[in-house]
Amino acid sequence: MDETVAEYIRRLVLRIPRDEIRTMLQEWGFLSGAQLQTINFHQIKDNISQEVVQLCEENCADIKQAAVLDIIYNHIYQNRRMWSVYQMNKAGEETEVFDLTDFKKKFKRRLRSALRNVTINFREYEDNAIWIRIAWGTPYRKPNQYKTSYAVYHSQTPYVFISASMLKSNLPLLCQALVVASNYHDIREMELRGHSLNSLKDIVFQRYSQNFQTYNPRPLPERTVEPESEDIRIIHENRNERERIQRMNWEVFGDGPQPKLEFVQYKLETMFKSDPEMNILDKKEPFRCLVKFSSPHLLESLKSLTPAGMADAPLSPLLTCIPQKARNYFKIKEKKGLLSESLVSP
Amino acid sequence: GILAHLEMLERRAQQVAMEEGEAQKQEEKLERLKARVQELRLQRDELRAKLDLQQKQQLGQEGAVLEVEPPSARAVLDWKMKSVKAMLELFYLTGISGKLTKRGVCFCISTAYEGTYLDSYYLDLLIKAQVEIHHHSIPVFIPLEKMAKKYLQTDIRRFLCVLSDHLNAYVGRRYQADQLQQHFSDQIEGTIQRNSLCNLLVFNYNVSSKSQTFPFKVRLVYGDLCCSLPTEVIVASTPDAPASLTQTAAAHSDLFRRMALHKAFRSFCPAEESMD
Repeated sequence: MDETVAEYIRRLVLRIPRDEIRTMLQEWGFLSGAQLQTINFHQIKDNISQEVVQLCEENCADIKQAAVLDIIYNHIYQNRRMWSVYQMNKAGEETEVFDLTDFKKKFKRRLRSALRNVTINFREYEDNAIWIRIAWGTPYRKPNQYKTSYAVYHSQTPYVFISASMLKSNLPLLCQALVVASNYHDIREMELRGHSLNSLKDIVFQRYSQNFQTYNPRPLPERTVEPESEDIRIIHENRNERERIQRMNWEVFGDGPQPKLEFVQYKLETMFKSDPEMNILDKKEPFRCLVKFSSPHLLESLKSLTPAGMADAPLSPLLTCIPQKARNYFKIKEKKGLLSESLVSP
Repeated sequence: GILAHLEMLERRAQQVAMEEGEAQKQEEKLERLKARVQELRLQRDELRAKLDLQQKQQLGQEGAVLEVEPPSARAVLDWKMKSVKAMLELFYLTGISGKLTKRGVCFCISTAYEGTYLDSYYLDLLIKAQVEIHHHSIPVFIPLEKMAKKYLQTDIRRFLCVLSDHLNAYVGRRYQADQLQQHFSDQIEGTIQRNSLCNLLVFNYNVSSKSQTFPFKVRLVYGDLCCSLPTEVIVASTPDAPASLTQTAAAHSDLFRRMALHKAFRSFCPAEESMD
């Protein structure tokens, strides 16, 4: 077995938390049950990884098999990577009969024709997600297994989720291969980035809870009602106002959990509005400014702004339109003197 | 003279007769009116008596169960709610139901396959100068834009029908594939290759003949997105398989074309099926 492969597997195992190693190796399926039994998973990770490497040697692992373990690791810890969303367009109107084998063949052929030294791996998951792992090399060097890009594609959809690789120069190659393999015409990057892959999927696939008014006979989910067992000596003076805020919040955000985003960024190119007497900024130039809201869970925190009294209801549409517009990067320009969202897509 | 006197007497007599006649008429009228008054008085007394009797009856039966209980407002409201809910449930079960909203209408398409109710999808439409889709929960791989471009402005009913057909066919295909995976996993070699729309299935399954098992390779293409049966079926056996199996392959191919996937499997391996 190649030394580089051995080292790669060793480093991979070291990254995995000790409790997870066994389950991940089982999912990998490269080592037999009997072989796994021989490993002591209670010792220090250094030793565990050495044992794993030894067993892989016995089975003559090559880089492709090691790469599968890498995909498994990245699939489970997908939220450690930063994902960007790309959208593809097609002009044709034919029905899609997406053939996975066809897709894989076209993708590999296209990518390899541009750059021979790449390692390409595919893995399909239950939710129709196709995970593609690419390790990049150069025309004169073998692929660097530590500098990998990941692309996640759901068949028959126009969206691809790419985990930004350090080698930005290879991105056009990846995009082109995706477009060709999936029978689309072109691809562009959307203004949507985040760590939670599932949340990004929820936003573009519109899977998050939206409010639909129906006569649906199913029971409405329980809305959090103020517990009646509160001290009766406490009188809520502005109960009406609070109920109004709750209702507006529900109309905008819905009942269920919000998709998880970490930030939203507004690039302002608007005129600075000041007292004309103060004479700040004589030149009538737009005041360039960047506003960034960060949070462990941005949309949930926006949702709790008005009930907590930190903002007036209704919230600005610039904040509430994030899931519908599927973007968390905005450019705000002056429009006839009114501060409106003149969104410019690159 | 005498004639004049007679005339005068005659005239007087006529006058008196007339007066008497009038008086008589008056009297008759009076009599009639009096009689009417009597009648009315009698009626009034009767009604009064009836009322008294009823009141006495009610008072007398306070302790016992009242014969006629006027329905309370609450009971009427409950009945109305129940019948409205039943009506809405009925509409929901027909597959396409809708509710008017402030700015348009919100449709709910409920799908089902062979008696099993599956997912519900929503479409919130804005009705302005043009009909616009505000937001929806249709899966992204259903060609919604294509359908909307074709029918939404001109024929909303047709649009909903076409969309409903697509959705029902999709959930039907997905249901068949899921059922196959769930109940016949022993027959299937490896995984079933599918895609988001479930309109291409490729897998291998085992067929036993004379106590030997042979793998068959199947490729099912569902060319019509509104149909839950395949348009193209290829069942191939391996080259080393006995000749008799080619006939079985053809038979299976025919089955897959005609009936639901899991039902087809059930028909040629009844012993393997697990009860669901």
